[in-house]
Amino acid sequence: LLRVAKCPVQVCRFLSPRGSVLIETVRGRKSRNDPKAKSKQDRVKVPPPIDPVEMVVLKERYTQYQMIMRALRVEFKEQIMRRRYEEEVGSRAEERTKHEAEEHRALMAWNDAENLRLRQLREIRVQKEVEELAMKREEAIGLQEEKRRKILKEKEQEILQLQEDVKTFITLENLDQRIEEALDNPKNYNFAIDKEGRIVKRTAIP
Amino acid sequence: MVHLSSALLRRYHGGLVIIRLALGGCTNRPFYRIVAAFNKRARDSKYIEQLGTYDPLPNIYNEKLVSFNYDRIKYWIGCGAHTTKPVAKLLGLAGFFPLHPMTVTAAERLRKLAAQKEQEASGSGTEEGQGKEEQRQEA
Repeated sequence: LLRVAKCPVQVCRFLSPRGSVLIETVRGRKSRNDPKAKSKQDRVKVPPPIDPVEMVVLKERYTQYQMIMRALRVEFKEQIMRRRYEEEVGSRAEERTKHEAEEHRALMAWNDAENLRLRQLREIRVQKEVEELAMKREEAIGLQEEKRRKILKEKEQEILQLQEDVKTFITLENLDQRIEEALDNPKNYNFAIDKEGRIVKRTAIP
Repeated sequence: MVHLSSALLRRYHGGLVIIRLALGGCTNRPFYRIVAAFNKRARDSKYIEQLGTYDPLPNIYNEKLVSFNYDRIKYWIGCGAHTTKPVAKLLGLAGFFPLHPMTVTAAERLRKLAAQKEQEASGSGTEEGQGKEEQRQEA
């Protein structure tokens, strides 16, 4: 018949140290329809004895206390309302608005000054960049000119070389002459060389 | 599941804010925080604001330490919070509230008891003395 209804009260875990046992209280072993215990069947619950003199004095004290408490509550409420009113509409509000306006002005002035300064810097920088661009362009043009000149020179050199080479070319008119010259002067390209670098031009093979 | 904000909670609950003691601490070592919380919340669960502490065990100088944040207590009482009996008694002893009637009556009762015991002790002493004198006279 004894049903243990477990409704554990919330246990505060974060304040208890590690390893300790968490006690969960269980309110009341008996359920609704369980009979009274035999030892308690004839028990008559008696309220605690009251001293009438003390009671009168106590009632008086309670009335005074409650009056003072009510007055305190009203007082605190008034204080809160006054504080709120002053915050929103009082002298502090005007000072605050003035202060904020001044701050705003100062900040705007500072902002303008900053903008001016940065603008000047920017202008200088942009000018420099433009000049640099122009310089680079000129340099590029110069380099190109030089390249062209070099190429021209090389080409001229080649032409001159060719002109000189033309004299040694074999044409139809020179052909017979040249063949006879070649046959008359046999050239020997053979030579021997050893590891120390001594060249020997006189060889056995012609 | 609607997550209720505090303003909505207050309207939903009917808004009874109480200043009470929330128990914390370890086994055989209680420690109370004076806390403004909703009436229906569990004793140690989420509160609105902590307003002080109370250490019921006396320290090495035999003092029980209590702390209050008077400014915020004023605010909450102005907003309509009520206090529990122990908090009211503590505040009364601190001087912020008037002295609770039960503190005074408890002190008076103690004094009466102490006076009675003294009387009994002196009365029994005088009776014994008188009884001895009578015995001697008789003898």
